[in-house]
Amino acid sequence: MKLSVMQENLARGLQVVSRAVSSRSTLPVLANVLLRTEDAGLKLTATNLEIGMTYWVPGRIEADGALTVPARLITDVVNSLAPGERVDLEQDGPASLYLHCGRQKAHLRGIDADEFPVIPSAGERPTTRISQRVLKQALSEVVFAAATDEARPILTGVLTRFEGDRLTLAAADNYRIAVKTIATLAPVEETSLVVPARSYHELERILADTDEPVDLVLAPSKNQILFHLEGVDLVSRLIDGQFPNYQQVLPSSHSTRVVVDREELLKAVRLSALIATTSANVVKLRVDGEAEGVVTIAAAADVGDTEGQVEATIEGEALTVAFNARYLQEALANLDAQQLSLEFTGPLSPGVLKPVGDDGYVHVIMPVRTPS
Amino acid sequence: MAGPTILHVDLDAFFAAVEQRDRPELRGRPVIVGGGGPNDRGVVSAASYEARAFGVHSAMPLRTAGALCPRGVFLPVDGAKYQRVSRQVMAILRRFTPRVEPVSIDEAFLDVAGSEALFGDGETIARAIKDAIRSELELTASVGVAGTKLVAKIASDLRKPDGLVVVPLGEEAAFLAPLPMARLWGVGPQTRLALADYEVRTIGDLAALPADVLVRRLGQHGAELAARARGIDPSPVSDGADPKSVSHEHTFTVDTHDPDEIERTLLALAEGVGGRLRASGLRAATISVKVRDEHFETRTRQRTLEEPTDQTETIWRTALELARPEVRGRTIRLLGVGASHFGERQQLGLFETGDERRRRVTEAADEIRRRFGSRAITRARLLGSRVAEPFERDPMTAPDARRVGRVRRDPGADGSA
Repeated sequence: MKLSVMQENLARGLQVVSRAVSSRSTLPVLANVLLRTEDAGLKLTATNLEIGMTYWVPGRIEADGALTVPARLITDVVNSLAPGERVDLEQDGPASLYLHCGRQKAHLRGIDADEFPVIPSAGERPTTRISQRVLKQALSEVVFAAATDEARPILTGVLTRFEGDRLTLAAADNYRIAVKTIATLAPVEETSLVVPARSYHELERILADTDEPVDLVLAPSKNQILFHLEGVDLVSRLIDGQFPNYQQVLPSSHSTRVVVDREELLKAVRLSALIATTSANVVKLRVDGEAEGVVTIAAAADVGDTEGQVEATIEGEALTVAFNARYLQEALANLDAQQLSLEFTGPLSPGVLKPVGDDGYVHVIMPVRTPS
Repeated sequence: MAGPTILHVDLDAFFAAVEQRDRPELRGRPVIVGGGGPNDRGVVSAASYEARAFGVHSAMPLRTAGALCPRGVFLPVDGAKYQRVSRQVMAILRRFTPRVEPVSIDEAFLDVAGSEALFGDGETIARAIKDAIRSELELTASVGVAGTKLVAKIASDLRKPDGLVVVPLGEEAAFLAPLPMARLWGVGPQTRLALADYEVRTIGDLAALPADVLVRRLGQHGAELAARARGIDPSPVSDGADPKSVSHEHTFTVDTHDPDEIERTLLALAEGVGGRLRASGLRAATISVKVRDEHFETRTRQRTLEEPTDQTETIWRTALELARPEVRGRTIRLLGVGASHFGERQQLGLFETGDERRRRVTEAADEIRRRFGSRAITRARLLGSRVAEPFERDPMTAPDARRVGRVRRDPGADGSA
């Protein structure tokens, strides 16, 4: 292998694929990044066996070849070189890389390329395509609600359900659920997959705020889903199992409906969270009568108490519901809407958040039972 | 003026004394209890006073003990027997007051305030307890009587075996002053290092240091130490009626770094803690682990859960995550799992079905243990493992004493007001 690339292109590629490097694996090669010449460029690949990322660095190839080197080390080495410089890479042994840039040079010892797992790339025809901007926003509004603890592995994933030209994403952690439906650019026959939230997290990072589409290749039989962007592939394994039937927990009616400014409500919740976090992390949301036109967020603990009010349009009965401050705060922070509607049916029933003017999104939070 | 009412009762060379009692031929001979004999890799759990004369002490490797005392009688640990005798001892203590706080298998604190009209003052009760233990169980105990737990414990240790030391109220500081500093709780190598400039040898030296020096050198710990050096200890004798925490500990016979053994031990401890929570109808929001290594360095870590639990799996998983970074690369002597912050506050859940099934399995297993004994059913993971049954703070102590019927949650109550 012998080739030349630009420092900033190589650095950018390493930065992207490094996200998939396994930090603590029993398989040493997974701490490495695979360098392989392909299609007149340098292909970088890293995987932690849950997610695999591939990045094509444009370059001038003199001789083909492949090897792996420690991802952390080569990233740090390349980052220390000057942008705008040409970096020459040469394989000077089966698992040894000679790196040369201006008056700097380095030898990095790695592991034979044959030991690296095979990562599929998007050779196949895409199943469908989605606007990057639309998918990126949907992920940011849904993925945070997935469970982080492994008690129920299925909940660490995001339900990904294709139906005609609609894609529904749903994430839940037993105390809350976020559901968003968006449009795909080509119809897909009905398919349900569960994709690890961590994979979607990485996908969200590489998606751009553009109408350019991202290609999706569904391979449920191979237990994989693949996303292809210009110059980047992300392949993720799927989570086996049945995602809980979330539709039956989405409330179909309500007795109180409130419309508020999202930012204002978030400010009030943040204030009360400061107090709530010192004890059980519970904040109370109080809706007064229709005439009052305010929603109050309050918290009380040994260290003190807080109360914040937000102007609101209220329909229905007055009531008080207690929530975990974190769930409320995360939902309000991640939603992209100026006005939100909040729907309630009682202190022990789920609270529903919907952006005003967007029927495609719903967020449900279970309340906390408090001593009355 | 009323006298001191806090007693610390500490049995003398407990395991060895029980063996000598049951086997008269061993009386007067050096008896060493622990592991499987002088060539075992384990450590001494207890040594009779005859063996201590040879320099043998607990926690010493058995091999060293064998070298120091080649004619010693080495016996394996018979946990079930000591547990039984311990219960008899605690039952004697409870005749004098319900306020008994067992701190380990062979020692307990009592607060006899309120019992004086019935049984006499603290000193009289201490003598009555020693007499009862001697005549009924043929064992000796050393007792310290003082105004605080701290001073009572130091006093009981002063004239072992068969000692009785009474520290009159108001004389705590004078009593402690000549004793070496190491007798105080919380004085370890770090404290000694921090105070190296001050020529502190006795508790009196420590008490003489201005409190702000200690605070500056040792922070909050320094403030507590300054109080302790003067005999001040605000902690009350807790009879467990309103338990603040439940915990189980296990000391390995042979220190270990085997991850599988550590995991299994944590599971056994989590099972013990979970069982006691469930038996008491309690749920705990905070799970803690305690890890002590071969150098007696002890670390504790804790985490507060999203919602209180009484489920073994949840306790175990949390304990594992907490313990993992603390056990890595170290040889472990002791593990402990604790649960605290009891509460019923509940985050309602969206999908409860999975948990409900697990809960029913747990309830069935608890019922089997209740009817047929604690070994009647066990986890496959714990089969064939040699994890001893964890030390129970004797069955009379709440929360177990307040065994209430399991509060069944009405599944329909969730989600509908």
